[in-house]
Amino acid sequence: MPLSRLLPIIPLAPACLLMGVMFLLPFGMVAVTAFWGQAPGSWLVDEAFTTRNFARILADPYFVLVIGRTLRIGVEAAVICLLLGLPVASVIVRARGQVRGLLLVLMLLPMVCGALVQTLGMLNLFGLAGVVNGALKQLGLIDRSIRFLGNETGVLLGLIQAFLPLMVLPLVTVLGRIPPDLPAAAASLGASRLRVLQRIMLPLAGPGIAAGAILVFSASVTSFVTPQILGQGHVQMFGPLVYQQAALVLDWPFASALCVVMLAALALAAALLAGVARLAARPRA
Amino acid sequence: MSIGAAVLTALVYAFVLAPIVVLVFSSFDTAPYFSFPPGGYSLHWYATAWQSAEYRDALGVSILLAATATLIAVPAGTAAAYALARATWRGRTVVQAILLSPLALPLIVWAIELMQFYARIGLSGTMLGLALAHTIIVLPFPVRIMLASFARIDPALEQAARTLGASPLRTFARVALPLAAPGLVISIAFAFLTSFNDVVVSSFIAGARSLTFQVRLYSQLRSQGVDPITLAIGAVLAAAIVLAAIVCERLFRWSRHV
Repeated sequence: MPLSRLLPIIPLAPACLLMGVMFLLPFGMVAVTAFWGQAPGSWLVDEAFTTRNFARILADPYFVLVIGRTLRIGVEAAVICLLLGLPVASVIVRARGQVRGLLLVLMLLPMVCGALVQTLGMLNLFGLAGVVNGALKQLGLIDRSIRFLGNETGVLLGLIQAFLPLMVLPLVTVLGRIPPDLPAAAASLGASRLRVLQRIMLPLAGPGIAAGAILVFSASVTSFVTPQILGQGHVQMFGPLVYQQAALVLDWPFASALCVVMLAALALAAALLAGVARLAARPRA
Repeated sequence: MSIGAAVLTALVYAFVLAPIVVLVFSSFDTAPYFSFPPGGYSLHWYATAWQSAEYRDALGVSILLAATATLIAVPAGTAAAYALARATWRGRTVVQAILLSPLALPLIVWAIELMQFYARIGLSGTMLGLALAHTIIVLPFPVRIMLASFARIDPALEQAARTLGASPLRTFARVALPLAAPGLVISIAFAFLTSFNDVVVSSFIAGARSLTFQVRLYSQLRSQGVDPITLAIGAVLAAAIVLAAIVCERLFRWSRHV
């Protein structure tokens, strides 16, 4: 190939090299190592092909329980974020100029401040001696502190607080594209509110809803800090489990097999949501 | 706008922002364990934090790491974004998807495999390994932000520079890059913060000598619970980031770039 044709590709080389060697190569290893084994009583990896890891996951009720719980909490987080995100996004879309910018920045602040700083605040907000319990006691509404943390409620509160922006941003994008007169026009032509929602808003907002849902679901099921700190060790989920298997039990092939199961669940969820969004957007006679 | 949506929105914002407010508020408590309402207010924990060599070292590691990752990722990402923004060949969308893939794929899976990958190539527990890992997690941000910035520039301006005899490199440096300067500032800010805030990748692969501030804070939270020193440091960090976010919004409108 002549140099003149190669020239425009050269600027891509450093980034592509870094991404290929440091990201895609190790990431791709997961599909290989999941089928490796470990010699009994040793930490050495046995590189002979085996499906033993997957058989062990399916046969052990503990692993099935943790993966099932993780997926359920992920669905719960995505649904609650959607219910909270829709009104918020519609308010942001209708705001103009500086107000809109301010609303977006405020929504994004938790993300730019970092997960741990948020978690630290959540502990003092919802802890047994925290602000919420303290305020409720001062108001005389409760005598004994409510346990918000150390259970699934605490984990869900943390996931929603952390990942709500992932739902709001795609919703703002799709809702911003719908002309404000469109639902009004449909209503003036006699469509009921339900029909406007069903025939106009949902098909147009569908891709944003699907994108937001998969982002929140994916971030929730692979979260690591929130289940550990806000679950206080009582809510075992995929992230801490896989870390435990890889870094503490030192069974790397088994940790990889757990990762493959979770990646398959994520791919399935993404395909399902994309299918539903396409179905909702399909024009009907 | 319906009143219901407005009230719900206000409540959601209160919930989303409450942890930052509570963090700053609770850092002024005098007691070693925060309780509401606080017994008294002081700057005691700020003074203690200031003297803590342990946290100062960890903050130093975090800043050095974030600066290194930003210094590699922003130039590499900007160059790649420029090539992609001006490319017409087939397959450019594939290259783009590859460069943005850390945003779409679960990083925890990558971190698990990276631990073993590093063990094989002898990078376990090294600062170089940690810096390379951080470079990967921040690289998608300059790629995405600069791609959008370069796409917004009128191609006629660069064509004019080329017609007048400027080399491709000179056209990039004197025309395209200055026009994309706001995107560059936002890329640097996002890259730095993403590295600085990372917990998962760092706690998986950081060695004992390269503990970042977030890893130290995380292990403290897991083993002993909330340390008032970390409240003071966390409050300063949060306040600095909130202030920077608002100033940058007024100057560069960064909320449009995400």
